[in-house]
Order: sequence, then structure tokens, then C-alpha cells
Amino acid sequence: MSILSLQNVTKKFGQTEIIRGVSLDIRQGEKHAIIGPNGAGKSTLFHLISGRYSVSSGTIHFKGAPIHNKAPYEIARLGLARSFQVTNIFPLMSVFENIRCALLWSMGYKYSFWSMLGKQTELNDKADHTLTEIGLYDRRNFPAGELAYAEQRALELGVAIASGAEMILLDEPVAGMSLSEARNAVALINKITEGKTLIMVEHDMNIVFDMADRISVLVYGEIIACDSPANVRSNAKVQEAYLGEVASA
Amino acid sequence: MIKQLTIWLLFAATLLILPEIFDSLLAISIFNQMAIMIVFALSYNMLLGQGGMLSFGHAVYFGLGGFLAVHVLRMVEYESIMMSTTLVPLVGGVFGLLAAIFIGSFSTRKAGTVFAMISLGIGELVAASSLILVSFFGGEAGISGDRTFGPPLFGIEFTQDLHIYYLGAVWMFVSVLLMYLFTKTPAGRMANAVRDNPERAEFIGYSARKVRFISFCAAGLFAGIAGGLFAVNYEIVTEENLNAVTSGRVLLMAYIGGLGFFIGPIIGAIVLTLVNSVLSNYTELWMLYLGIMFVLTVMFLPRGLAGFLMMHRLPWHLGKTRLLIRPYVLTALPASIFLLSLIGMLEMAHSSAAEFVYLGMTFNSSGIGSWIILSTLTAASFFALRLTLPQLRAAWTAANTQSALKPSTAANGNPPLNPSLKESSN
Amino acid sequence: MIEVLTFATLNGLVTGLLLFMLASGLTLIFSMMGVLNFAHASFYMLGAYFAFSISQYLGFWPALIIAPLLVGVVGAVVERYGLRHVHKSGHVAELIFTFGLAFLIEEVVQFFWGRSTKNYRQPEILDFPLFTLFGQNFPAYKAFMIFISISIFIGLYFVLTRTRIGIIIQAAITHPHTVGNLGHNVPFIFMAVFGVGSALAGLAGVIAGPVLTTFPGMALVLGSIVFVIVVIGGLGSLIGALVASLMIGLLQSYAIASDTGMQDLLNLLGISFESDHILNDIWTITLPQIAPILPFLLLVLVLIFKPTGLFGKRES
Repeated sequence: MSILSLQNVTKKFGQTEIIRGVSLDIRQGEKHAIIGPNGAGKSTLFHLISGRYSVSSGTIHFKGAPIHNKAPYEIARLGLARSFQVTNIFPLMSVFENIRCALLWSMGYKYSFWSMLGKQTELNDKADHTLTEIGLYDRRNFPAGELAYAEQRALELGVAIASGAEMILLDEPVAGMSLSEARNAVALINKITEGKTLIMVEHDMNIVFDMADRISVLVYGEIIACDSPANVRSNAKVQEAYLGEVASA
Repeated sequence: MIKQLTIWLLFAATLLILPEIFDSLLAISIFNQMAIMIVFALSYNMLLGQGGMLSFGHAVYFGLGGFLAVHVLRMVEYESIMMSTTLVPLVGGVFGLLAAIFIGSFSTRKAGTVFAMISLGIGELVAASSLILVSFFGGEAGISGDRTFGPPLFGIEFTQDLHIYYLGAVWMFVSVLLMYLFTKTPAGRMANAVRDNPERAEFIGYSARKVRFISFCAAGLFAGIAGGLFAVNYEIVTEENLNAVTSGRVLLMAYIGGLGFFIGPIIGAIVLTLVNSVLSNYTELWMLYLGIMFVLTVMFLPRGLAGFLMMHRLPWHLGKTRLLIRPYVLTALPASIFLLSLIGMLEMAHSSAAEFVYLGMTFNSSGIGSWIILSTLTAASFFALRLTLPQLRAAWTAANTQSALKPSTAANGNPPLNPSLKESSN
Repeated sequence: MIEVLTFATLNGLVTGLLLFMLASGLTLIFSMMGVLNFAHASFYMLGAYFAFSISQYLGFWPALIIAPLLVGVVGAVVERYGLRHVHKSGHVAELIFTFGLAFLIEEVVQFFWGRSTKNYRQPEILDFPLFTLFGQNFPAYKAFMIFISISIFIGLYFVLTRTRIGIIIQAAITHPHTVGNLGHNVPFIFMAVFGVGSALAGLAGVIAGPVLTTFPGMALVLGSIVFVIVVIGGLGSLIGALVASLMIGLLQSYAIASDTGMQDLLNLLGISFESDHILNDIWTITLPQIAPILPFLLLVLVLIFKPTGLFGKRES
């Protein structure tokens, strides 16, 4: 069952076409990686799915409903969350507050100006629970902007999944991390995305081939392959795109 | 929790005993002015400090609230309606809220420069219109009323400023409490989030525009209450209460006080009211000094007076504040001489009298001798001041560093405060 | 009717071009540094005051050259020691800084020159009617103002598009880092542009002082209108600034000169109200009355429907 489905999506900026007719079906519960050379349009694709950009043509459906012209906050409310390539949190608020804010809508608080947050035990407990899950409970009261880089990425992750979204888009989650940090991050990702659908943009091939159920290869705004890791690895077109020629082995 | 309750009780108690300690008419009138400005400045901070929306036209809601309040006072006087004077500020608040709902519906789409420009345009538009629509705004003379015609409250007819003090104190206390509680609600928190990162706020399910709109309306409500208090206090409201000068004044108050802290605008309102009423009696140049103070604050103390006070939190927490005492005194000495001699020169240049009396000393303003003395003093103290700065800096670093031998967590188990802690749980 | 129209157009042109001189400097500064300089009109005021004082000793023509240069220096100093320092605290802090600066400059002007209007007069050599049309004189000085304004525009256009420094400036507007990497001293360019922009404002003050009166409130009066123009024209667009300046200048001029008001419209529709009607103020509104608020009305409308302004490319 396809939870996310893109049909012939294109995106132009002025005269430049960045995404040239992408069709993709993501199955519910799968871990799907999107790889491709730099400039292929991976981040743009994410922006299109999460509502930051609108499509030039084509459609995107999430759980059967069209989302291609919806605002980011509407899409988020439907259960689609994303993280960012460049850490995008609330730097002046504490780590705890960051997570708590991420929980507000899904727990029904909306724009209430009468509920006192300090008294909402269920909300606060859930926030603390998420913090523990991502391993940031010790840093609970620190301003988010002062965390170490890897911790900020973990927080980024936490904010994305806190609301219990069913589908998560991760944009280069381990970029800029050392080997051990990346290993921890991957373990964390695996833990918290259990049972959820995950779409990940990543460059590190080891991680990709390890985690993904299926891989899509995006080159110059088009998907040239979408298959299991093993098949993608031996795909001639993919090899050509990456290596410039078909590998001899 | 107990600590919070104590602070509020102390606040209420202070309000009650203040007029007993300072009971001159002048003091009461200054207190009344402070109460109005505190509510006004806090309402402005809902926009700027908490919501990240720089407005150059906030006086509109203050003024509109004030005008409707005065009209209500007149209607009570001419017996068209009946309303206790105590409720008049609420009328101002409602009108401010309605105006904010209307204007906010189109102006909160974006924050940043566009929002600032729209607020400027609306501010100018309303202020200019007020001179044209004479029946509601009274033209240049404004509208005046009389607050003593309402039904008496426990025999009080609000003839004295002291009565207004207590009325104002109650309204101010309630307003401050409500505005504080707002910051602890989902709407208030999301306002902070939208300020910090509007895009991220959208991706966690919140429409940035709607969040801003709510803050905007709340700010309009409380600005209107402040306007209503103004009307009850002064019994006259004019175009000046709507215009860019008043909008600028509230920006000044909030900024100098400190945008990032709830208590900041309160400090700013108190300080600026004192400058406005007291300093202006001593010198004609007080506006110039205010301008210099403002620019210097923007450049060197961007987090305002409250920010400056809060910088001492970590040293206090580490028990190292006494390390700062001697350096402060050492720096304060040349600093005060510098300020006093500079002010002396400015005042002497400004005064038209031949003899200039300053700090108990008489100077001959046309004689070159006085000028030489003062300018040398200014220059010398300036250089002396610069010499003391390194030791001040060193003392600050020392006061902010934990001793290596002490355990790194405080007694209550919380993680140590980071030296550059910014106020986040605002 | 024609005479009213002609003079209204001419006066509108004078005002519009003067406004453009101010708006062009502001636009340049905004394009380059992302700062909407609240104190820009204050530099205009400084120009008028400097020129007034200089002309008392040296006459109008030396003042015309020296005063803008002085203002340019002040601007450069403000950028170097003030703005640059505040830059790292963000756009809001910069706006607040320039706002405080405007306030401070007004107080400083009052400190040195007092509060009364200064008797800054146009040079006698230009104090004659250039031509007489339909019984009304058009002063030569106003023609001089038009001449200066147009020359500035041509000069600016030439420098920006045909000279090497102009190309560098244009590049630095959109890609300051790249230009820096190419070896150009971007901070110096910023300071220079700010200085030149301020000097332009000062020049506007020098020539406008005699006509629009030299008094401490002159910055406030013109300042908000210039902002309106820059925003309506589109933040960052010189062409937009020119179009908006002329538009506002002419619009205000026509409004002031016209004789119509709401009454005429109501008469046309056959409606009339008692003179003590509650909304009487609105029914009796005349066009000259609302002339001062027309720019702001336009501003709000443009910001609602086209937030990037008429020709805007860059949104703060």
C-alpha cells in the first residue's frame, strides 16, 4: 500500500527545470533511500513533498489525499514530518521546549492561550520521554543553540518524530558527523522509525545499503532506478551515472 | 512554584505600600504614569520581544483605546450611558482588540521588514486621519472628559490622583499577570518558536501567520487597556497618543529595558518614565541624553538593562559576584568623571547665561578657562576609563568560570548554567 | 484648469525628483546591505543645516559642494563605527539602531542650531521667475532643482552600469561573499556606498532646504514618505524608486491643487447628508485634505497585494 505517491512531478525555477517528471510510490512501512549526485535535486524533491515548494506540474498524494498544493503546516498535521540538511531548530528555546512545541499540535492544543503548559502533565511527560529516547535528557534545560553539532542533529530528529508522524523525511541526517557519531545516529534512527515509513536522502553508501529496503536514484531531476539495494548496485545506468562508465566487476 | 507565588505577592504588596512611602502628589502622578507605560511596554513586547515583530505603529491601539475611553467618560457625564470608571480601561482594551483584529488580518502575513513597514504606514495613516476626522478625534485639541461622573465605588468618586493610583495598580497587576501567563500557554510558546524559526514552526504543524495574528491581537488588547488607563488618568487624549512619536517611545522603553526578558519592558517603562519626568526638570537636554543612551544601548547593551542584570546570574550562581565589585568601582570612577564633565560641557554650551552653575561650582561660560578645564577632564577620564577596561574584562571571565576543584553540578542536581546562557524559558 | 494642471505637474515633478534623490540613496543602501536606514532623512536634514551654516560664510555655491561631502563623511563614519558593529545582531537590531540614530541626529541638530526655522535662502542668482504661464510664475530655482535631480540620476545610472566600480557594486549587491573572494574590499565598498548614499541625501537637503524650509522636524516630514516610496517601488529597485517617487510627487501635487472632495462625488450620486451627521467629517472630506495621507494609503494597499512592491525583486 502506497503511503506516498508522486505522479509526474516537475519543478521549474524560471526556465530551469530541476525536477523533470518524477513518479514514485513509497510503500507504507518501508525504509526508502534517495541517492544521487550533487545537484540532482534531492533536497528540492523533499521541499516539494513537505510543502515548502509547490509543484510546477504533477501531483503528490499522501495517504490518498493530495498534498502538492498544501501549506507546510497542513501537510505536517496530516502526519508527515521532516528534518533538514542544515540544522533547523529553535535555538533560543531550551531542548525540552523544542520537543514540547513539536508535540503541541498533535496533542490537540492548537492555538490555545488558556492552557498553562506547566500543568499539562501528559504533554510534559511525553516530551521528557522523547528526550530520553533521543538521549538528550541530560541537556533538557540547555538552549538548543548551544548544543554540540551531533546533539543538535539528534534534537532535529527528535523534533521531527516527536509528534508521532507516520512518515518521516530525513535530509542527510549524518552529514558532518564523525564515524562513531554517525553510527550512533543511525542506531537512533532505526530505533525511532520502527514501524514508520522513512524516506532518507543520504550520501554515505554504507548506511544506505545497510538501512534501505529500496533505493531510488535521482540524476538530473529524474529517477533512473528504483529497486532493492542489490539490484541498484548492479544497475548499469546507475554505475554510469556515478562512475562515468559501467563497472567491470 | 512557591518562588513564583512569592514574587507576585511581593509585587502586589509593593504596589500597596508604595503610596504610603512616597506620598507626594508628584510621586503619585509619576507612579500613575509608570503603571500606564508598564502595561503599554509589556504589550509591545508581546509583539517584538516574544513574537519577533518589529512594529512602528503600536501607538495606534493605545490611542484608539484611549479615545474610545474618553468618549465613554463623556457619555457617562452626559448620562447617555452608565458605567463605572473602573471599567473604562476595559472599554479601551476592547477597542484596541477590535482594531488589532482588523489590522492584523492583513498585516501579519509576514514578519520582518514588510511587517515593520506596514505598521509604519498604518500608524501614519491613522494619526493623519485623526486630524481629519474631527468629531471622533477632536482635531488638534483632542478629546477631554471627566472621570468623576461615574457611580462611586465604595464612596470614592475618583477625584484624586491617589484613587487613580489604586485603580491603575489593580489594572496593571491584572494585565501584567495575564500577559505573563500568556507566555506560558501554547499560543505564547509558539509565538517564541515562530520568532526563532518560522519555517520550522510550520513544519511542526503551526501556521506562522495565525500564531502572529494571535499575539498581535493580544498586544492590541493590552495596549488598548493602557490607553484606557491613560484616558482615566489624564482625562484628555490627543492625536499625539496615536502618532509615530508615541510608537517610538514605547519601542525605546521596551528596547532599553530588554526585549528578551519579561521583566525588561517593566524596567524600561520605569526608567524612562523617571527620565521623562524627573530628568526633564534638571536639564533641557534630557532628550539628547536619551538619544545618546538609546544608541549606546543598541550598540553595546543589545539585551537592555534587564539583559545586563541577567548577565550577573552565572556569577551569582557560582558565588563569584564579589569578584566584580572592585573592578566595577575602578571602572565607575573614571566613567562617572567622564560623564559628568561631558555633560557639563554640553550644558555649558547650551546655556545662554554668562555664569554656569554646575554641581555646586560656578563656571564662566565665556571664559576659555572653564572650557579648558572641562575638556581636559573629559579627555583624561576617557583615557583612564579605557585603561580600566582590561581588568574589568578579566574579572568578568574569572567570575564566569567555575573553579576546577568544585563539583560541576549545583546542589540541586541541575546541569550547570552555560556562561553565555540566553534567556530561553521566557 | 490647464494652468492648474500644468503647474501641478511641474511642482509634482520637482517634488518627485527630490524624493527620488532621497529614495535612490536609500535603495542603494538597502540593496547592498539589507538595511532600511531610518536615519536617511536625517542625513538630508544635516545637508540642509550644513549648507545653511556654510552659505553664511562662503555663499550658496561652495555650500552646494561642501555640505554633501561633509554629510557623506558622517555617513561613512556611522557605517564604520556604528552600523557595522550592530550588523551581527541581525536586521531588527539594525533597524532599531538607525531609528535611534534618527532620533539622536534630530536632538543633535537642535543642540547646535536651536529649534527655530533657519533662514536658509536660495541664491539670489536663481531668485527670478523662469517663465510666466497663465499669470503664474515658475521660479528658476525650481528648475534648478529639477536640473540637479536629473543630472544625479543620469550620473548614478552611468556610474552603476558603465564604470568598473559600478559593476563591482552591482555584483556586491547580490553576491557580497563572492565579490569579497575575488579580492575586493567589500567592507570598504559598503562604507563607501553608505557614504555616497548619505551624501546624496545631504545634497537633496542642500537644494531643498530653501524651498521646503529648514527646521528640526524636516527629517520626520520627509522620512516616512521616502520609506513609502522605497517600499512601493520595490525594495532594491532603482527604477521602482524613480517611478514611485514621481507617482507620489505628482499624486500629492494634483490632490493638493484639486478642488474636489467627497461632496462632489456625493452630489454626483445625488446623496446628501445633514451637516450634523455623525460621519460628517468623512462626507466633507476634500482631496487636498487627504493629500498627506495618500502615500500611506498607497503603501498599505501595495504591501497587502504586492508585498515585493511594484518592481521589487528582493524581499528583505
